Amino acid sequence: MTPVVRTTSRLPLFKRPWVINSVVTVASVLFCLLLLPTRLPGMELLGVSPHWLLIWVVAWSVKRSQWQAAIAGLVLGLLQDAMTSPHPTHTLSLIVVGVLTARLQKQRYLQEDIVSVALIVFAMAVVAETVLALQISLDQLLAAESLYPPLTKIWLYHQQVALSSAILSSLWAPALYYPLNRWWDRYSTEG
Amino acid sequence: MFALRRWWTRHALTTGMVALAVSSAWVLRANDGALLYEAYHWVTRPLQPGMSREQQFENSYILELQQRIVELENQNQALQDLSAYENTLPGDGVRAAVIGRGADHWWQHIVLNRGSRQGVAPGHVVTAPGGVVGRVVAVSANTSRALLVSDPTSRVGAKVSRSRVMGVVRGQSNNRVVMEFFEKLPDAKAGDVVVTSSYSRLYPRDVPIGRIESLDLTKSPAPEATIQLSSPLPILEWVIIHPFEPLESVDIPTLPTSEDQVAPSEARP
Repeated sequence: MTPVVRTTSRLPLFKRPWVINSVVTVASVLFCLLLLPTRLPGMELLGVSPHWLLIWVVAWSVKRSQWQAAIAGLVLGLLQDAMTSPHPTHTLSLIVVGVLTARLQKQRYLQEDIVSVALIVFAMAVVAETVLALQISLDQLLAAESLYPPLTKIWLYHQQVALSSAILSSLWAPALYYPLNRWWDRYSTEG
Repeated sequence: MFALRRWWTRHALTTGMVALAVSSAWVLRANDGALLYEAYHWVTRPLQPGMSREQQFENSYILELQQRIVELENQNQALQDLSAYENTLPGDGVRAAVIGRGADHWWQHIVLNRGSRQGVAPGHVVTAPGGVVGRVVAVSANTSRALLVSDPTSRVGAKVSRSRVMGVVRGQSNNRVVMEFFEKLPDAKAGDVVVTSSYSRLYPRDVPIGRIESLDLTKSPAPEATIQLSSPLPILEWVIIHPFEPLESVDIPTLPTSEDQVAPSEARP
């Protein structure tokens, strides 16, 4: 126990495992953020692109506790709010997604292979868009001078967005989940 | 002698075959395997490249140059169009390239490569050849984010150019906009040009928006027209940002100008 601690603490800062791990994690989030405004060919369906942050939150939460998942959802939601518009907020939908994913793992019938992750992402994309649509509907119902269109239009648009986002995100999920999960597995066995 | 003869009758075929094999191998060796290479050449003919390597490289280089010329001509055309459009505008604007789209599915944004360092500020109006595109909602040092007119939260005060009927243009999320009229029986028909009205607080007046595609006069609470936007929002590459001071506070009254005589008091989009 003690020699391990001593050797790791003697390493220069940029070589310590936890530093490398945080750098990789932050870099992956940054990569997802930079992917958001791009519309690369093959990544677009009816003007909708994959929800990269949602895929990241699912990849993070699959093997972690609810609290860790909720914090990840909060942080990434705030980041997405920064890139779009803070009202209605994305934090709520991403927190719900993270917590649900973290709770899912306790049930036996979903394993941690790529197909199950794609399925989880599909369901979670629908959940996330529904949470956003609920917020917009609430705003439309409660706010006196709401800018949003009537409820029927919101939910019609919600169908379209949720379906395209779910299909695209679940197809692209392995591209992000696989390397990230491999990395975190390696880090946890090393550390 | 008899023994030799008996051996010959028994092994003639084998001996002949061996001799043939050895001699043909010898012949091939004497020719440095020319026959083998000829056969190899014949067999692998479908796999061989048609032209020599130098020719191929030369050809592809020429092709590359030709394609580059095509691309440059297209870029030049686009910039000339933009420049011609810029010259027709009264004020001076900042040219900007579209470098990204909205980072979410619910908002219709574009990201532009000009920001506060180039004098862009929130509220400035973005247009493109064709007409109004949107307005700047956020800026950073070198980028700005514009809310498109097709966004559901976007409202533009508009009028039908021919008959001066006023209304409000609202986004419909998927690059469509509709115009809601203030009157029950508006004087409008398909093909009419729609421009921003002087009651618009967020946009300058008389900027083209699009044409009326279809009318739905039975729509409740207000008759509605579907507008075909004249600027191609999904494929925009270049836009121009115009300085504009929006009147965000509703308390300041806007004075009607001479051409907008009919003034519906609730027309405050």
